[in-house]
Amino acid sequence: MRCGPLCRFLWLWPYLSYIEAVPIRKVQDDTKTLIKTIVTRINDISHTSVSSKQRVTGLDFIPGLTPVLSLSKMDQTLAIYQQILTSLPSRNVIQISNDLENLRDLLHLLASSKSCPLPQARALETLESLGGVLEASLYSTEVVALSRLQGSLQDMLRQLDLSPGC
Amino acid sequence: MSCQKFCVAFLHWEFIYVITAFNLAYPITPWKFKLSCIPRNTTHDFLLPAGISKNTSNLSGHYEAVVETKLNSSGTYLSNLSSKTTFHCCFWSEEDKNCSVHADSIEGKAFVSTVNSLVFQQIGANWNIQCWMKEDLKLFICYMESLFKSPFKNYDLKVHLLYILLEVLEESPLLPQKSSFQIVQCNCSVHECCECHVPVPTVKINYTLLMYLKITSGGVIFHSPPMSVQPINVVKPDPPLGLCMKITDTGNLKISWSSPTLVPFQLQYQVKYSENSTKNMRKADEIVSATSLLVDSVLPGSSYEVQVRSKRLDGPGIWSDWSTPLTFTTQDVIYFPPKILTTVGSNVSFHCIYKNENKIVSSKKIVWWMNLAEKIPQSQYDVVGDHVSKVTFPNLNATKPRGKFTYDAVYCCNEHECHHRYAELYVIDVNINISCETDGYLTKMTCRWSPSAIQSLVGSTLQLRYQRSSLYCSDVPSIHPISEPKDCHLQRDGFYECLFQPIFLLSGYTMWIRINHSLGSLDSPPTCVIPDSVVKPLPPSSVKAEITVKIGLLKISWEKPVFPENNLQFQIRYGLSGKKVQWKVFEVYDAKLKSASFPVPDLCAVYAVQVRCKRLDGLGYWSNWSTPAYTIVMDIKVPIRGPEFWRIINEDNTKKERNVTLLWKPLMKNDSLCSVRRYVVKHHTSRNGTWSEDVGNHTKFTFLWTEQAHSVTVLAVNSIGASSANFNLTFSWPMSKVNIVQSLSAYPLNSSCVILSWMLSPSDYNLIYFILEWKILHEDNEIKWLKIPSSVKKYYVHDHFIPIEKYQFSLYPIFMEGVGKPKIIDSFTQDDGKHQHDAGLYVIVPIIISSSILLLGTLLISHQRMKKLFWEDVPNPKNCSWAQGLNFQKPETFEHLFIKHTESVTFGPLLLEPETISEDISVDTSWKNKDEMVPPTTVSLLLMTRDLEKGSICISDQCSSAHFSEVESTEITCEEESRRQPSVKYATLLSNSKSGETEEEQGLVNSSVSKCFSSNNSLPKDSFSNNSWEIETQAFFILSDQHPNIISPHLPFSGGLDELLKLEGNFPEENNDERSVYYLGVTSIKKRESDVLLTDESRVLSPFPSHCLFTDIRILQDSFSHLVENSFNLGTSDQKTFVSYIPQFQTCSTQTQKIVENKMCDLTV
Repeated sequence: MRCGPLCRFLWLWPYLSYIEAVPIRKVQDDTKTLIKTIVTRINDISHTSVSSKQRVTGLDFIPGLTPVLSLSKMDQTLAIYQQILTSLPSRNVIQISNDLENLRDLLHLLASSKSCPLPQARALETLESLGGVLEASLYSTEVVALSRLQGSLQDMLRQLDLSPGC
Repeated sequence: MSCQKFCVAFLHWEFIYVITAFNLAYPITPWKFKLSCIPRNTTHDFLLPAGISKNTSNLSGHYEAVVETKLNSSGTYLSNLSSKTTFHCCFWSEEDKNCSVHADSIEGKAFVSTVNSLVFQQIGANWNIQCWMKEDLKLFICYMESLFKSPFKNYDLKVHLLYILLEVLEESPLLPQKSSFQIVQCNCSVHECCECHVPVPTVKINYTLLMYLKITSGGVIFHSPPMSVQPINVVKPDPPLGLCMKITDTGNLKISWSSPTLVPFQLQYQVKYSENSTKNMRKADEIVSATSLLVDSVLPGSSYEVQVRSKRLDGPGIWSDWSTPLTFTTQDVIYFPPKILTTVGSNVSFHCIYKNENKIVSSKKIVWWMNLAEKIPQSQYDVVGDHVSKVTFPNLNATKPRGKFTYDAVYCCNEHECHHRYAELYVIDVNINISCETDGYLTKMTCRWSPSAIQSLVGSTLQLRYQRSSLYCSDVPSIHPISEPKDCHLQRDGFYECLFQPIFLLSGYTMWIRINHSLGSLDSPPTCVIPDSVVKPLPPSSVKAEITVKIGLLKISWEKPVFPENNLQFQIRYGLSGKKVQWKVFEVYDAKLKSASFPVPDLCAVYAVQVRCKRLDGLGYWSNWSTPAYTIVMDIKVPIRGPEFWRIINEDNTKKERNVTLLWKPLMKNDSLCSVRRYVVKHHTSRNGTWSEDVGNHTKFTFLWTEQAHSVTVLAVNSIGASSANFNLTFSWPMSKVNIVQSLSAYPLNSSCVILSWMLSPSDYNLIYFILEWKILHEDNEIKWLKIPSSVKKYYVHDHFIPIEKYQFSLYPIFMEGVGKPKIIDSFTQDDGKHQHDAGLYVIVPIIISSSILLLGTLLISHQRMKKLFWEDVPNPKNCSWAQGLNFQKPETFEHLFIKHTESVTFGPLLLEPETISEDISVDTSWKNKDEMVPPTTVSLLLMTRDLEKGSICISDQCSSAHFSEVESTEITCEEESRRQPSVKYATLLSNSKSGETEEEQGLVNSSVSKCFSSNNSLPKDSFSNNSWEIETQAFFILSDQHPNIISPHLPFSGGLDELLKLEGNFPEENNDERSVYYLGVTSIKKRESDVLLTDESRVLSPFPSHCLFTDIRILQDSFSHLVENSFNLGTSDQKTFVSYIPQFQTCSTQTQKIVENKMCDLTV
């Protein structure tokens, strides 16, 4: 237990070293810009619009549009999306997946600036069924994932203006 | 008890049997072992009675001494054995000399006993055997070699190997049946050597190989005991390859070799080398696990021989064979390192050991040179040991290639002696700039770099390596030990291009170029790039340009590109569309702005507009310019003004009506903004009020002016409306008589500009402006006009004025009340003519005046003298025989006077060479005058004759003279100063002195002179010698007929002379005593060849027209000394002077003139 603060400090050290070099303001701006960029990228993929009238079932492992209020929740949500996108064979989403990785790194920087412990999100068990779903309904998965990711990102953009907590 | 004992013994036997079963097969050792066989009986004899079978497991052998005594036999024993003799065989080795004897029982079971091998060695058959697994792990080899000498030597040797691969030996405690064994025949050579190959799958290399040998030799069959081995334990590698020796950078000898790649375990190596130097000779043997060995204390001029072999490092194995020996000889000078590849700015050192004449040079005596041209300062030397010198090069500059040598040669020298070997120093500038650019879609980053800086390093390969950080770049980029290569492709421009796709927008890509070379590898300074900061956006889209209606501004609108999401700044440029657009550039820093307006000078022109963008924070690049957008020319506003117009009035005097035609120039775009759909003429009269007439697009309109005053206005109408500011013109009868322009003058500046100035008189009317109208005089079809402000008093009219035309200028004052009376001048042409005459007048008039005065004076003086002299000496026709019948006052032709005497005088050739001259001839118009007194005449000649070049001709009419001036404008007035007597003077113009024409000239002169002399009674004909006349012919001119073509166009000579001569012809008739009669023979120029004066055949003068006679023509000569001398012969009378008409070839000086007048004979009666 005594090594807890030390471990925590050591864990934060790489991020703190970044913060030392990069102003937090720039990190915030870059985070917002990157979110907008990803949203625009999804917009550019023509088939990502999903009718709001229809609810797609069976894809519960894709995070819904529930408000994400904290940085850790954001990171967790993005980790799931990143994992889903990485599994998709479409070329369009590879770049978005890379962007998500950058975005998560930025969230970690923001969290470290607020001294928030933001553990690396691990793959969730729910994604174990991803492989089977992808084989059966690749299109649905891609469309729904991108659509929900877009919504989540827009929600995060709003939350970032409100200075979200840890 | 015995039963009990038996039972115990039985149990004990069984136990022994079980134990031996497990140890039945002989374990093959990695080293050589032996197989020895002896006949069965012999074995049993000493084995079984000894009762030691119970102790067969005892490997120590307690019966060595017994065996030695019992089996003390020789090889001859075996030779006596039959073929059916059964042998007992055993294996033993040098390490374990106990022989395990194998015997087959009837039941197929075997039992083993241990005997000292010495027994077999002495009495049995012996073989050396070695088995190993090849390095490829696929072949098991057993090699056997017969040791016994004679018994079976002469028999065929057949060896078979029977084997079986067992996964685990322990699983089958009993030996397998013989039928399960596989058999291979071994290859035996004549040297009693056999090699048996057993294929073993690699996967079964850990299995147990159970086998035995069946040797048939000389009818005797030897069965070896079973052997067992795991192939993995007897692997024999191949000898190491790639043996290499070199001097290391630190001065050691490095022996290196390559390790085999097939063996699944690590190897150890044994290196044996020998050093043979002048000092000593040493040998060493070292075992190492690495594939290289460093040998220190390497000396120059030594040779080293090395061999290496290998073996499994951990576990059992067999040493490979020794590699082929390698010899390496060190040079007399050893540089270490011998070559250095380094980067600019780095520090490097070379070491050197120098052996000179079998003696190693002391390091203190070593000096270093660069390229054999430059001694390296001693401050850079360092003594490392007694024999090792070191030189250090700090902060190196890039090597400049010298021809094909791309390195610097570093020499280690012994004071003043350098060995030819040198070290090579390659210094490469590796500052390679890597520039990256992210595309407008933010999906790929292209990095470019040029290898030009390191092209000099032949044999090098370049590779871009990078390492990506999760976010951003560190302040000081560094080369990370873990990096990835990136494929780059050479482009046509010599740059390499590397593509990163997809990208991590905010990650830091640290990149550098690795230069790989045989001498080592170099890394360029690393560069860190964040793709997000090197974005070149797409150009703005939907760029539109228009001139806003009624506002009149150039409005440019655009849409920002989709990416990046950052705030953007924009640059707008616009210019008049054309081939070469002169752009005006404006910056827009408001990221939200989507349009901008700019005032432009020309609202009716087509503007090209382009927009580009860049991140507002300055990061990244400017996008390309957008596709140009163009404005469309359309009506922006109502026309600024109506057209300026003027009128042409056609007056009908019979009626009080005038047809007025209005003229105007089409309104330009700048005034019409930007087009004119039609023109409207608005009339106003007091009687009819106001009305309008649509003219359409015409620029001319005619109406009838009937009323006292008629006002018209011309309006221009476009799609927006009619012009608001318009010009009015009022035609008023009363006003047309108002004259306020007092004077008007036009001064031409050049053919394109005329200055007009005018004076105005005061007027009560309201002057608005002037209309200036001009046209070529008498040509009404092309009237030009322009409007001039009322305040102007002088105006430059620019037009193409034709100088030979006459222009009429009219200046109309335009009053508010109407058009006033114009001032019309025709001064342009008059002024111009006068101007043209002025230049001539300024020159000619003074000449004429001065000439006139001079001539007048001459005339008066000569008139008085001639009056006295001439008529006194005129021959009396009645008293002069030759003159009888001749009318001196009116001769019909010139030849009539002289023809009778032409044969009496001959002429010599002319002395002077002909020369071509140019002389301008102009005959004044005063020749036309037919007055009695011919006014002074100036004649200038433009003749292309050489004869007249140096002559001057003075033509005088009575006392007046016409001067034939020289080309050089040496105008000489030859004033006749005959003192006593009037003289008849002749001059003949000589045009050439060609020998072929000499006779003509002579004839002419002879004739004239002879006649002249004939008239003089006092002169006998004989007194003229031909010789003297030959000389005197120089004094005569003959006007050349060789150049009539040249002369005639310029010389209206005959016409003028005709008139003159007509005038002369009247003198005798008038019987004017006061007049002198002078004659001059001149060829009519117009008659040319047809009127040749003298022909060769006739040697007489051709008919000479009377109109060619001149009076009082003097020909002066400034150089006629010959003539002067000869003239003494002619002079017979002191009282009479001869004034010769001498060809005036030279300038007539005053002195000459005097001589002539004083000493020449006068042709007087």
